[in-house]
Amino acid sequence: MKHFTTDIIIGLEVHVELSTKTKLFCSCQKAKKDDIPNSKCCPICLGMPGSKPVLNKKAVEFALKLCLALDCGISPELIFSRKSYFYPDMSKNYQISQYEVPLGKRGKLMLKGGKEIGIARVHIEEDPASLIHPAGLKESTYVLVDYNRSGNPLVEIVTEPELGSPEEARDFMKQLITVLNYLDVFDINEGIIKADANVSVKESGYKRVEIKNITGFKEIEMALLYEVKRQKEEAHKVEQETRGWSSEKGVTFSLRKKETEEDYGYIIDTDLTAIEITDKWIKEIKKIMPELARDKVKKFIEKHKLKKEDAEIIAAEKGLAEMFEKVAEEINPILAAKWLRRELVRVLNYSKKELHEVEIDEKHMIGLLKLVENKKITDNVASKILEKLVEKPFDVKEYVKKEGLEAVSDVSELERYCKEAIEESPKAVEDYKKGEAKALNFIVGSVMKKTKGKATPKEVNEIILRFIR
Amino acid sequence: MTDETTLKDFISKIKNNEIDVVEYTYKLIEECKKINKEYGYFNTISEELALSQAKEIKIQLKQKNKEIKNKKLLGVAVSAKDSICVKGVETTAGSKILQGYKPLFDAFVIQKVKEEGGIIIGKTAQDEFGFGTFSMNSAFGIPKNPFDSERSCGGSSGGAAGLSRKLGNHIAIGESTGGSITTPASFCGVYGLCPTYGRVSRNGLIDFSNSMDKIGPIGKTIEDAALLMNVISGHDKNDSTSLNVKNEDYESYVKKSIKGMKIGIIKEAFGSGVEMEVEKNVYNGIEELEEEGAKVEEISLELPIKYGIATYYMIAASEASTNLAKYCGMRYGASEKLEGSFNEYFTKVRSNNFGEEAKRRIILGTFARMAGYRDAFYLKAAKVRTLMINEYKKAFKKFDALVSPAVSILPPKFSDIEKLTPLQHYIIDVMTVSPNVAGLPHLNVPVGFEKNLPIGMLLIADHLQEGKLIQIGSAVEKGK
Repeated sequence: MKHFTTDIIIGLEVHVELSTKTKLFCSCQKAKKDDIPNSKCCPICLGMPGSKPVLNKKAVEFALKLCLALDCGISPELIFSRKSYFYPDMSKNYQISQYEVPLGKRGKLMLKGGKEIGIARVHIEEDPASLIHPAGLKESTYVLVDYNRSGNPLVEIVTEPELGSPEEARDFMKQLITVLNYLDVFDINEGIIKADANVSVKESGYKRVEIKNITGFKEIEMALLYEVKRQKEEAHKVEQETRGWSSEKGVTFSLRKKETEEDYGYIIDTDLTAIEITDKWIKEIKKIMPELARDKVKKFIEKHKLKKEDAEIIAAEKGLAEMFEKVAEEINPILAAKWLRRELVRVLNYSKKELHEVEIDEKHMIGLLKLVENKKITDNVASKILEKLVEKPFDVKEYVKKEGLEAVSDVSELERYCKEAIEESPKAVEDYKKGEAKALNFIVGSVMKKTKGKATPKEVNEIILRFIR
Repeated sequence: MTDETTLKDFISKIKNNEIDVVEYTYKLIEECKKINKEYGYFNTISEELALSQAKEIKIQLKQKNKEIKNKKLLGVAVSAKDSICVKGVETTAGSKILQGYKPLFDAFVIQKVKEEGGIIIGKTAQDEFGFGTFSMNSAFGIPKNPFDSERSCGGSSGGAAGLSRKLGNHIAIGESTGGSITTPASFCGVYGLCPTYGRVSRNGLIDFSNSMDKIGPIGKTIEDAALLMNVISGHDKNDSTSLNVKNEDYESYVKKSIKGMKIGIIKEAFGSGVEMEVEKNVYNGIEELEEEGAKVEEISLELPIKYGIATYYMIAASEASTNLAKYCGMRYGASEKLEGSFNEYFTKVRSNNFGEEAKRRIILGTFARMAGYRDAFYLKAAKVRTLMINEYKKAFKKFDALVSPAVSILPPKFSDIEKLTPLQHYIIDVMTVSPNVAGLPHLNVPVGFEKNLPIGMLLIADHLQEGKLIQIGSAVEKGK
């Protein structure tokens, strides 16, 4: 038995669909989700006799970018193998994949807390067709095959068994998706991300259970949480096996007991010649590699003097990071960071939207934050404007003017409002003088109402205190 | 129609309207039917396609289309081995599992032939997927030797070679994985040229063994073979293994002097196991080369002769077993009643529709690539293959070509073949498998007759030296 350092051992095999325009070995356009079934295929992806695969170089470029981002060692040659097994979703009953020599080996990816997870291999392969069970997975007496997906380019990322908990697995997926987004090699709306997870716990003597085909990264955590709990509770009953995950029922279930490793009878696919991955090619790719989250964090800390935590949160989302950089050119970076990571994220979360789904861009943020920076509007007013901007963008400056939302900066005007408020609330003044500090809030609130939030509470507070002491 | 005019003459007569291409093609198809009745060279005669092509040519000629005069194969009948896809024409590769299958696209070589005005007359008989030496492992008819119908015309491109002998103004497209062009060419007394691996695109060829399959011409004369090579060779971006090298004019090598060329006689290919009549005639051919000024010397090539068969069968069967996996009765070809699970269904389809030899090779190939065996069989074979290539390469530093018999026996009787065990059967390929494994171009040159049966000499050259083979092959007159 191996000696593991954690009680839970998790390894992931993640399949990511690359966002190329065409399929991996033919010139078919990749289908969209609502395309008519079997409308995006040709003799090659249908596996018709006599057809021959021709490699899509763009897919290799995308995969190489990923290998570089994951610090993998890159194979000097790209070689494809045939993985043979009979299944109705396989157009040729073998899948063109990579075996002996994967494209990338021995890489790593850092989790939020700094723990590094080893990447055993990254390889390229083709997607099978999709199977549709008209009456449900178990109940249907027949399946329909849609070859639109057949031949789509996938990368498989295999981690070392170094994830110590379902939470770490989820974080790994999150970090991986961040990398994919930065590289622009994965389409989060159309693309598919799937994982097989190997799970074992100390209680069962680390018996290895594989959960197949979990779609979506939130599902991965849910499946793992369930499976870890199951293995701990039924430790003596755990068997080496392959299980499935039902997202509807929230349970894993046994698919097959596995006594031996499956034998796919791999041979080299000699329809495809070995392609040399030259240093020149890698250099060219390095040149066009975008900055990654880790580079951004470093830059935000060094150049913009952000706190590490703020830098990490902003860098984790590519869109947010890019917006931050543009905003920080015109606005104090600390102020910009505060507004982006707190307020913008809050408003987005509240409206259950992602940044790429809303129209608001850096120009709107700069317009808004300029007014905040110059104390033309209060934070309070700015927050409310931001909420409206997320719904539908508009010219902030004009809007403020039109609605008369400029902050009251004239002290005498503010003093007048305060005096009025004090006169209108004798009881609150009395209570405050009796020692009820909270009573002051009532008077401040009253002033805020009178000014429609255009005054800063701090300033109002000071003026009132000056008057009633 | 059996008038012995050269193809060049024939083509110019078509161009000058001395021969009516439609009338001629119509008669030709009738003759094909007649030949087929007696010898069984076709799986399909593509009458409709041939006539529509002929009619189109006639229209173009009438309209005095300028380009038509440059067509290299205008009006020439071209047959294709059944494993080569012709759009809309039943293409079975000799297998029941593909019965009724009509491809959606033309193979690269078919496109090229059509572009040059060649008329596709049909699909020729072969061993199922190319698995055989005598064209007897077919789900359909067995082609007969043009010189003796009780004997085999060789395989697996048997129909192609037999038809080349029997039909005038015709060139056949054959295919070789382990000797399937030169063996039948030898048994039928015609010229069969198997090119360098990658010289002719495999796009549209139904796979047997991807790393060894090669398409090449079979013709009654060396000129015919060279002409078809000019049409079908060249780079194809739709076949990743297609070589991107300069096109050559193979016809220019015909009858070019061979004075001073060095030819190596493969020592191990003569003597025991080779029939006397075969050996005698091949030596006659070699003598003729010497008379033409070539220098001849013996060379030992132990590795290819000793390990060729084993290496070939390991690689070919391993690759074939994956290539044949796609035939499961789902989208094309044979199907069975839909019942039971997917595993039960495809097992039934494959059990009922693959022939015995196909099943033997699937089992052999699957075994050779299974974990625990692949190191000892599949991977070792790949290593031996590299060693074989190295040994040949060394020889070609000294020699322009190597020579051996194409087959060590005269065309055998069907009744004798039936007595052979599978292994005895496989050993017949000993001369031809090694250049195939090494991807080297090789040519069958008819060198004479014994008992009214043809004998062929095998010439092997270095990669991409097809020109030299044509040059040397055209120096031999005896077998004509």
